Amino acid sequence: MFDVIIIGAGIIGATISRELSKYNLKTVILEKEFDVAMEATMANSAIVHSGHDPIPGTLKAKFNILGNRMYKQMSKELDIPYMECGGMVLATSDEELTLVKELYQRALENGLNKKEVILLSRDKILELEPNISDLVNGGLYLPTTAVTLPWEAAIANIENAMDNGVKLKLENKVLKIEKKEHFIVTTNKDVYEGKVLINATGIHGSNIANLVTKASFKTRARRGEYYVLDKDVTIANSVLYPVPTEKGKGVIITPQYHGNTLLGPTSEFVSFEDISKTTARGLEYIKNGSQKLLKNIPFHKVVRSFAGGRATSSNEDFIIEESAVPGFINVCGIESPGLTAAPAIAVYVVEEIVGKKLKMIKKDNYNPNRKPVVRTIEMTKDELNELYKIDKKYSKMICRCEKVTEGEIVDSINRNCGARSVVGVKNRSRAGSGRCQGGFCQSEVINILSRELKIDKRSVVYSKTGSEILIEKTKGEL
Amino acid sequence: MKKYDVIIIGGGSAGLAAALEINKHRKSKILILERDAELGGILLQCIHNGFGLKVFKEELTGPEYAERFINELHEKGIEYKLNSMVIKLHPNKTVEYANVDEGFITIGAKAVILTMGCYERSAGAIGLPGNRPSGVMTAGAAQKYLNIDGYLVGKNIFILGSGDIGLIMARRMVLEGANVLGVAEILPFSSGLKRNIVQCLEDYDIPLYLSHTVTEIIGKNKIEKIKLSKVDNFIPIPGTEIEFEVDTLLLSVGLIPENGLSEVCGIKIDPRTKGPIVNESYQTNIDGIFACGNVLHVHDLVDFVTEESRKAGLAVSKYLDKQLAETKNMIELIPGEGVAYIVPQHVNIDNITDKVEFFLRVKKEYKDVNFVVRSGENIIKTNKKRHLAPAEMEQIKLKLIDLENIKDIKTIVIEVTK
Repeated sequence: MFDVIIIGAGIIGATISRELSKYNLKTVILEKEFDVAMEATMANSAIVHSGHDPIPGTLKAKFNILGNRMYKQMSKELDIPYMECGGMVLATSDEELTLVKELYQRALENGLNKKEVILLSRDKILELEPNISDLVNGGLYLPTTAVTLPWEAAIANIENAMDNGVKLKLENKVLKIEKKEHFIVTTNKDVYEGKVLINATGIHGSNIANLVTKASFKTRARRGEYYVLDKDVTIANSVLYPVPTEKGKGVIITPQYHGNTLLGPTSEFVSFEDISKTTARGLEYIKNGSQKLLKNIPFHKVVRSFAGGRATSSNEDFIIEESAVPGFINVCGIESPGLTAAPAIAVYVVEEIVGKKLKMIKKDNYNPNRKPVVRTIEMTKDELNELYKIDKKYSKMICRCEKVTEGEIVDSINRNCGARSVVGVKNRSRAGSGRCQGGFCQSEVINILSRELKIDKRSVVYSKTGSEILIEKTKGEL
Repeated sequence: MKKYDVIIIGGGSAGLAAALEINKHRKSKILILERDAELGGILLQCIHNGFGLKVFKEELTGPEYAERFINELHEKGIEYKLNSMVIKLHPNKTVEYANVDEGFITIGAKAVILTMGCYERSAGAIGLPGNRPSGVMTAGAAQKYLNIDGYLVGKNIFILGSGDIGLIMARRMVLEGANVLGVAEILPFSSGLKRNIVQCLEDYDIPLYLSHTVTEIIGKNKIEKIKLSKVDNFIPIPGTEIEFEVDTLLLSVGLIPENGLSEVCGIKIDPRTKGPIVNESYQTNIDGIFACGNVLHVHDLVDFVTEESRKAGLAVSKYLDKQLAETKNMIELIPGEGVAYIVPQHVNIDNITDKVEFFLRVKKEYKDVNFVVRSGENIIKTNKKRHLAPAEMEQIKLKLIDLENIKDIKTIVIEVTK
């Protein structure tokens, strides 16, 4: 019997699990995918928004501001990449300039102070962002905007939660939920019993809620497509937003922690099957949209394109509440600014909702820190040679584009919530994220996964069960 | 800090030939740094034949071709380090590398030669629409899995792009028992050598779809289907989609010189070749740093890489003996009508003994045209050509005497004319 069952190991399930791990509760996370952070958390803009944009008074506005203020501390404790690059909303017409001024008022109303939101002239913007297009005629500066790595944020939260006792059950798709004295959750693999049940299933939110009782909301998948530019070109120093429209924040230009630039997203309602499909049309839209803000974007430096689905709820705000069924808590419709809001949502869910259902006592031995991640690319030669003395694997370079060593890959596999697939290794260590996209290092990564997981190379998967890469041996054993 | 005369970054065909050539001309302290566990580079996975026809006048496989150079390297006692990845190159010719035997080491040299080769353009780079399942990989990666590691990646194969590695892998997969359903090329002509079209596709009845591209990848875990469409000037034509059930899509959509190290070092890159800008001595804009082979521009045949690298090696030995003239009388080579690029991009006339050779590629297919080499209005040379194609690298030789005849020559244009 668990005290709390969380369904969904995206950023929301992840932050909630870590928050729960501070207390003497037995918690389990059920995730249908092969790894954590595989859907919306995997494919988004990676921005820690300032809170300038949501409509005042909404949960989005409230938790965005609170979450933004928690991110730095969380990133420090969990060793999550975090870059305080600031952001700008750029107007490209007189109409948009009027909207920017309205946005300025909205930002103040949401609780940003006058140091956190500043109106800028074109000349001032040019000093900070020399590549802006000729159309840009003014904008807002948002210095508290930052950039993180969303999947690493989720992985780090779950790893830390597991270090503090939380269980993670992967490839457990929830099929049936019964409520008797407590919840009985049946998955394709097992049956789990729990006193409190938290639904953090993103785009699947209303489907899971309907297994308990008819949901008062519906979640839909809104697809966003993106382009990634190589890390050797810097086209923007801060996050560059267009003026938002009813459809969303528009095509954003985002410098990434590791030096790449992200262009996107599109915004389109699609079926669940199509959330990770890119389209020629979508990518064309991103090209056009991004060129409105910046000139000379080097599209020949594209290293990847991808798509992901945001969970949009029918009531247009976050849903964070106990449902009509006592103990069943929906944390649904957490689309943008959900990544930013996640740590604040987690505190609210645990302290204000779970705390009223269960007797919670803080643990004495709770460790808020994740074991630091070695990133050799950020180390000096002396530091590297110290590390070499401890483990020679840290001097064997596997990924030449991103300079990732065997030591880093082995570590990414052998942690709690460790990598079990080629994509899992890539998401945790960056091996294969560079310009050759794993062309050279994928075979080495397969060898390391095979050795560390003690499985045959033919059983090593690309991303999930059924995605094996090597299908047949052509030669006998040597 | 340990000092060498020459550090060569990369122990593939270019690095090996350059090292041996320097050794032939002068006694030098040479070090080759190779990231792999063996010397030879990509040749090792190219187990088909067709290598060496120019250099050895016989037909060898890739490993055999490499072996000849490796054996000679051992005979001459030239130093090399395996499993050693160069992490950073500095303009003062210090090199940082790492391996498991020594850790992280910095060394210096009087000259550095860049011979890092190239990498394959990936699925990500060409923005293929659709899902991102497994089973989509570059032809070279599949070649390594098959020929080095001994694993097959699929049974029902489609190949996008008609680059030579794709064509070679079409045949190779058939020989290994797979079905190769077709090769698609977005251009109206093949990107690979004619001999590979014949020997790898036609001989095995593998269809080549010119002016076609993959417009959707379908598959949840592993690729299940692709949609192929006819294109009109790169734009897919609606209604022309054909579906193929596949478990593998191999990509052979271009090779890109591997210049991550060069760029960080401040070496100027030619956007046309994506390799360093060099002069007649294969020297980059940084004094004492040279480049040759596929890191400079992508070659059709390894024999050409060897020839180019020998020339670079000779130039480096002259550089070490201080026999290379200062860069004064520079002539700039300008690709004219129909020419995609020219290597070298600059020529110092004082370093030419009797002739200079240029390598170039054209932008599209031509029949019965002329290569015209001119400086301003002065026509230096005209070469008749029956057939030109982007897939076939062309060579033009100029005699020193032709250049000396023109006063104050600053630029040379090479162009295609009717």
